[in-house]
Amino acid sequence: MSGTVAHTAPAPGVWREFFRSPAAIVALATFSGFCLVALFAPWIAPQNPYDLAQVDIMDSLLPPGSESWTGAPYHLGTDGQGRDMLSAMIYGIRISLLVGLVSGVIALAVGTVVGLVAAYRGGWVDTILMRIVDLQLSFPTILVALILLVILGRGVDKIIFALVVVQWAYFARTVRGVALVESVREYVDAAKGLRLGHLRILFGHILPNCLPTMLVVATMQMAAAISLEATLSFLGLGLPPTRPSLGLLIANGFDYLQSGRYWISVLPGLVLLAIIVSANVLGDRMRDTLNPHL
Amino acid sequence: MNYRMSWLLAASIAIASPTFALAQDVLTIGVRSEAASMDPHWTQLSGDTQVQEHIFERLVGLSPTSQPIPGLAVSWAPIDETTWEFKLREGVKWHDGEDFTADDVIFTYDRLRAGVSGAPASPAFQLEKGGKQWTKVDDFTLRITTEGPYPTMAEDLAMLPIIAEHAASGVEPSVDFNTGQAAIGTGPYMFEEYSPGSQITVKKFADYWGGEPHWDQVVFRPVGQDSARLAALLNGDVDMIDYPPTIDIPQLLEDPNFVVSTIPADRLIYIIPGYKHIEPFITDAEGNPMVPNPLRDWRVRKALSLSINRDAIRDRIMGGASLPAKNIVPPGFFGYVEGLEADAYDPEQAQALLAQAGYGDGFNVTLHGPNDRYINDARILEAIAQMWSRVGVTTEVDAMPRNVFFSRLIRGDELSMPGFDVPEFSIALTGWGTVAGEATYTVSGTLETYNAVTGGGNGNFGRYSNTEVDARSVLAKRTIDNDTRRAILEEAITIGMEDYAYIPVHFQVNQWGMKASLTHEPRTNERTRAMDVRRVE
Repeated sequence: MSGTVAHTAPAPGVWREFFRSPAAIVALATFSGFCLVALFAPWIAPQNPYDLAQVDIMDSLLPPGSESWTGAPYHLGTDGQGRDMLSAMIYGIRISLLVGLVSGVIALAVGTVVGLVAAYRGGWVDTILMRIVDLQLSFPTILVALILLVILGRGVDKIIFALVVVQWAYFARTVRGVALVESVREYVDAAKGLRLGHLRILFGHILPNCLPTMLVVATMQMAAAISLEATLSFLGLGLPPTRPSLGLLIANGFDYLQSGRYWISVLPGLVLLAIIVSANVLGDRMRDTLNPHL
Repeated sequence: MNYRMSWLLAASIAIASPTFALAQDVLTIGVRSEAASMDPHWTQLSGDTQVQEHIFERLVGLSPTSQPIPGLAVSWAPIDETTWEFKLREGVKWHDGEDFTADDVIFTYDRLRAGVSGAPASPAFQLEKGGKQWTKVDDFTLRITTEGPYPTMAEDLAMLPIIAEHAASGVEPSVDFNTGQAAIGTGPYMFEEYSPGSQITVKKFADYWGGEPHWDQVVFRPVGQDSARLAALLNGDVDMIDYPPTIDIPQLLEDPNFVVSTIPADRLIYIIPGYKHIEPFITDAEGNPMVPNPLRDWRVRKALSLSINRDAIRDRIMGGASLPAKNIVPPGFFGYVEGLEADAYDPEQAQALLAQAGYGDGFNVTLHGPNDRYINDARILEAIAQMWSRVGVTTEVDAMPRNVFFSRLIRGDELSMPGFDVPEFSIALTGWGTVAGEATYTVSGTLETYNAVTGGGNGNFGRYSNTEVDARSVLAKRTIDNDTRRAILEEAITIGMEDYAYIPVHFQVNQWGMKASLTHEPRTNERTRAMDVRRVE
């Protein structure tokens, strides 16, 4: 089986190639750093920003470097409710990455299955599935997500569901394209000749050869999911105001910009920018090194 | 390309030049809420009525402090126990030149009673209160009878804009008003343009009975986002804005190019506890529903009130512009009780009361509220959630847009049916404006037991019920003598508020920001009107 997979799978040299770009190294380090921060948020953050009993309105709108009346430092200042911005951003990163990764993985799984089945079976199955995909892609993602959230209400699970719904079609479309090319290759004919089961051919032979493409699309889509979550939160949908994500923090700070309290909006905005840019740079570099034809 | 650009530039300079501007004295107002209709019987939202007030007038007007003053009626008096007689103003012209008579008033009230089809919140209920019946005596005299003695007749009629019989007969509600066809009033300004999302324009009515209006044209431009509205004022797009963001008030006050007008509003911001035996959004530490609902214990309600730091909300959220309250109407209004002082912040006593009531370990609540209706509403919700959480009542906040919030607040429960509204929320923050300047219907609306037939408790969304309050509220509605009625109202309010029927937070303080070349006489009822604005040179 390994012989059949070697066809387009990453060779050992791919990683060396990947690290030849300094930008990719910086992006990987940045992104990994954010992942670590998200993973260990409760131990890193000075305050639990979601525990309202720890947040005091009397400490609201303090600039970076201030101290609370109990003497605790607010390194990056506080927001309009007296929430420590550093802690709020650390937890915000956690929500953003969680939403981006989980919705990306689920959408990838759904989209892959649909794409593989459509390509392998062909005929009316392919037609129906791809028309559904077309239908889905013809609506602006933000519009679909907005409508879904208005119907579903608030919560991390709901926002993940909405993101999966708007994203699976991208994966389905891409995977089908690659799988269509693969499914007419000799190794697939050979596998069919050996009378291997459909499932085994699909997931054991065709799928591994689609992986590089999927990896690249998944990275890009994750960045898109993170920014879409921030957009929805900015518009006030998705998460409750007492559990701010990065987008909601930016929205909250928006009202204070004209009075010179820049830190509430600008700092989470920079963090969001860094996450999305690093994810995109990673995706770009993977595309260059893995060289799938997108 | 360059040539065309310079031509455009020259044209824009010509438009902006002062000589051009002087030809027409235009006032442009940036408003937070856009008027949804030009039909004055469509809703009672202040965003709608403030624009309609330029075009349509009522029999009874309201002074800046919401006290009744002559409008289309010059005088009124009770002629017996159950009849009021109104003398109408003579020589009033409609915008199309026709004469105003009592027939128009009859037509208006008949239209309201018949029902304005499709209207989300018509003010018709004002006519049902007291079972009003109206008859024309002559062209300028009108009699209104009620089932019993009815003291607040003038206050009720101050809510009912008069429309023209000849212009509004048989028209389609709302639609034909928005085109201008039926938007014929007697007010100081005439309908000019209604473009939803962009602007509403009215122009001077030179034959206005109250003298020539000050502005040639008034433009209302909706800018919903607070900071964008402020920016529109700062960069000169508009001359005046309502609801300047509280956080930016100090900056406006320092700037010599702008001034701010301020007045305590008639709008009370308060928290309604739910009184059902079991409330869906109240759970114990394990997340199970609580029986009985702890909010039914007055000690719990008092504890929630004592744990709110109203001064902190005023200073840290409202930019100093709020009036902490325990009263239900603001100072100076009929029914204000001198002795009712806002609860001082006392978390220790709050915890002691909770322990005494048997809830020393606290419980969980979800506090609902709007996020685009009242000044800083979402921030107030979050601050109160902090304060309650600190005394052990773990509070989640669910803030939502006003159209969703109010329908769920009023009739959100699945048991709701027409004539029997069942509110959904277990505890919610909302507001009540005493638009009539008089506490009778604030007591009846918010403290009386809910009764869809009499209209009692039509704003009592927690379903508070106290016979001692009910008896006084019903009596007040039938007492014509002002001093007696005031005493009854003050008793009812004191009983209800000592029982923490609901938990007042503060009265809003309304502010407007404008160019220094303008003066504005603000109104307690929040309306933003060109009639109150003058240019000073």
